[in-house]
Amino acid sequence: MPYRVYQKPWFVKTVFYACSFVILLVGGITYRNISDLSQASDLVTHTYKINVELEQIFSYLKDAETGQRGSIITNDAQYLEPYYSGRENINNSFVELRELTKDNPKQIENLKELNKLIDVRMACFQKSYSFYAATDMNNPKFKENFLAGKNAMEAVRNKIKEMILLENKSLEAQQVELHKNLKVTPIFLYFVLLMALLLMYGAYAKIASNLKRLKKSNMQLEMFKESTNLSEIVSNHGNWIWNVEEDTYIYSDNLYRLLGEEPHAFLPSLEKFMEFVHPKDVKKLNKAVEKMMASENLPFTYFRVVHKSGKVRHLKAFAKKVVNSEGKTQLIGTTTDVTEEIKSFKLLEQRNHELERNNKELQAFNYVASHDLQEPLRKIQTFLSRLEDKESENVSETSLKYIDRIKTAATRMRLLIDDLLQFSRTNKADKAFEKSDLNLLLEDAKQDLAEVISKEKAVIKANELPNIKVIPFQFQQLFINLIGNSIKYKSETRTPEINIAYSKIRAVDEPKIKKKKGSYHKFTFTDNGIGFDNTYAKKIFILFNRLHNKDEYSGTGIGLSICKKIVENHKGFIFAEGQPGIGATFTVYIPLK
Amino acid sequence: MQKDYIHIILADDDEDDRMFFTDAFEELKIGTKVKTFNDGVYLMDYLNAEDCNLPHVLFLDLNMPRKSGLECLNEIKANSKFNDIAIAIYSTSASEEDIEKTFVQGANIYIKKPSSFKTLKKVLSEVVTTNWQYHTNGLNKDNFLLRL
Repeated sequence: MPYRVYQKPWFVKTVFYACSFVILLVGGITYRNISDLSQASDLVTHTYKINVELEQIFSYLKDAETGQRGSIITNDAQYLEPYYSGRENINNSFVELRELTKDNPKQIENLKELNKLIDVRMACFQKSYSFYAATDMNNPKFKENFLAGKNAMEAVRNKIKEMILLENKSLEAQQVELHKNLKVTPIFLYFVLLMALLLMYGAYAKIASNLKRLKKSNMQLEMFKESTNLSEIVSNHGNWIWNVEEDTYIYSDNLYRLLGEEPHAFLPSLEKFMEFVHPKDVKKLNKAVEKMMASENLPFTYFRVVHKSGKVRHLKAFAKKVVNSEGKTQLIGTTTDVTEEIKSFKLLEQRNHELERNNKELQAFNYVASHDLQEPLRKIQTFLSRLEDKESENVSETSLKYIDRIKTAATRMRLLIDDLLQFSRTNKADKAFEKSDLNLLLEDAKQDLAEVISKEKAVIKANELPNIKVIPFQFQQLFINLIGNSIKYKSETRTPEINIAYSKIRAVDEPKIKKKKGSYHKFTFTDNGIGFDNTYAKKIFILFNRLHNKDEYSGTGIGLSICKKIVENHKGFIFAEGQPGIGATFTVYIPLK
Repeated sequence: MQKDYIHIILADDDEDDRMFFTDAFEELKIGTKVKTFNDGVYLMDYLNAEDCNLPHVLFLDLNMPRKSGLECLNEIKANSKFNDIAIAIYSTSASEEDIEKTFVQGANIYIKKPSSFKTLKKVLSEVVTTNWQYHTNGLNKDNFLLRL
């Protein structure tokens, strides 16, 4: 049996009908056989009865004959008794026989003939008896009559024999016919029963396997239900079904919990649910539900519920229409507790607000630094320059020295303000990245530093630099600050020399990069300056951190912090390495993507 | 073209700056007549007067009470009567934003107030002796901010 047919849903039904048919067939055949058998036995009884009756008739005749003979010999009338009753008995038997043979025309004919023969025999008796009464036994007519009686008796015997033979023959013929039928049926019945058994076995196997499958899927369903329950608890949501036609609701366990109730604490209905809704949201939700009833759909709807304990929770509901396997419309919905999300969202909003305010303050500070702080300083410097130009002859030597000190301090203050401003401007993250030729940016940086480079006769050598996506003015600033830094901290004995090398590397090959993923552009700036102790390698990037006294070097402690910030704006890393008296190396990594 | 003197106006609320400005022109000796106003309102009142002697070059401080330099710039550029005045922005700060705005509004040059008197003199003489009629043609954002 092909597996596919075996799996078809109509299989069991077909098998059931086939089995019913087979059983009906077997029943029918058995009934016919049994009725055949009883018919056969009836036939035998019938034949037997006829035979008995015929024998009986003959026996009565013989009795009559014997009685007559007895009376003739003894001349005693008492022997005639069987002869008198014989005729009556024979008549009774005839009635019986006529009844038995009424459906056999041949036997009826035979019976008539037999009747005549018996009449003949009886007539002979009568005649013989009349002779006997005259006691004329030697009368030749008596002898003749006696012979005729004997012949008639012979004829009766023959007729009865013939009738019995005929009856037996017809019985035999009918029995042969019946036996022929009965002979085939047991095999046929056996075969049909076997077929039915096979079919039943097939059906049983199918039902058993169906049951097994059903059990399995039932188990899976059970498990799925349990996991849904758990997931509802974990993710704080509950499911519900609205049977549109019956207007009934089914709530999942957790939906009750979302309302602050035990599972199945009440019979779910819209009215009951509304009792939990926050008074201020009832109107809104009612509107949404009305819409849901009309369009059989519920878009995301937010509302609050109040628990019995007075706790207020924020819920979010969503539903979709489906038509189930019975053709009934259902709205399947899910309701989620979003209180925590809303809380954290509000917190985030608040933080954002604070951040915005901080940013605004920072911008205000920027303005103050760039404008208001510079103004008095500029004036101090201008007045100083005026003093120097106009009044240098009128003031004492000491005053001039003091004026010079004031000038130095003012210059330093200007430097600080400028650097600070630049540092805070580097903060701005919304600067646009552009594909830039770093060689050009380096040239621009050198241009900016032209004065100091020529003054110190600094030599700057660079590899071919790539064309990559950067914030151009920031990257130029990076070059300016790093080169400027190298020149500022030059060795007393050597002319400054700066080597800029570029290569493309993979993160895994660089021990300095902690994140071992992706590829980087690597820039190294090596100088022959005074270098520094490597213990300060990290410190030098911290704002206002200086390794030297400001009398020796004019740094503000901001320049390298700006470098770090620029590199971080490019999602890269910057490292410094120094050897006191020999030089320093700054390494910049910028991710390829 | 007969040129008796160059008529120059400065609008600045800072007294010291006004003093530096007039002192510088006095020392420069290039035939200039300098007028100063304490804020934008005074300036516009003067410029809008019927019998006004229009300046050749107008120096505008940006941060002034009552009426800022930017407002003055707007009003001046909106009036065709003032088409021939060259306008120099004269400010303490040189923020990108201010430079961008004033350039778009049609100022001719942006000067960041220098911190030495010598430089101030140099800058002012440079601006005043520029022939703005010609200079305007080559005006672009890169040379808008005067660097000395």
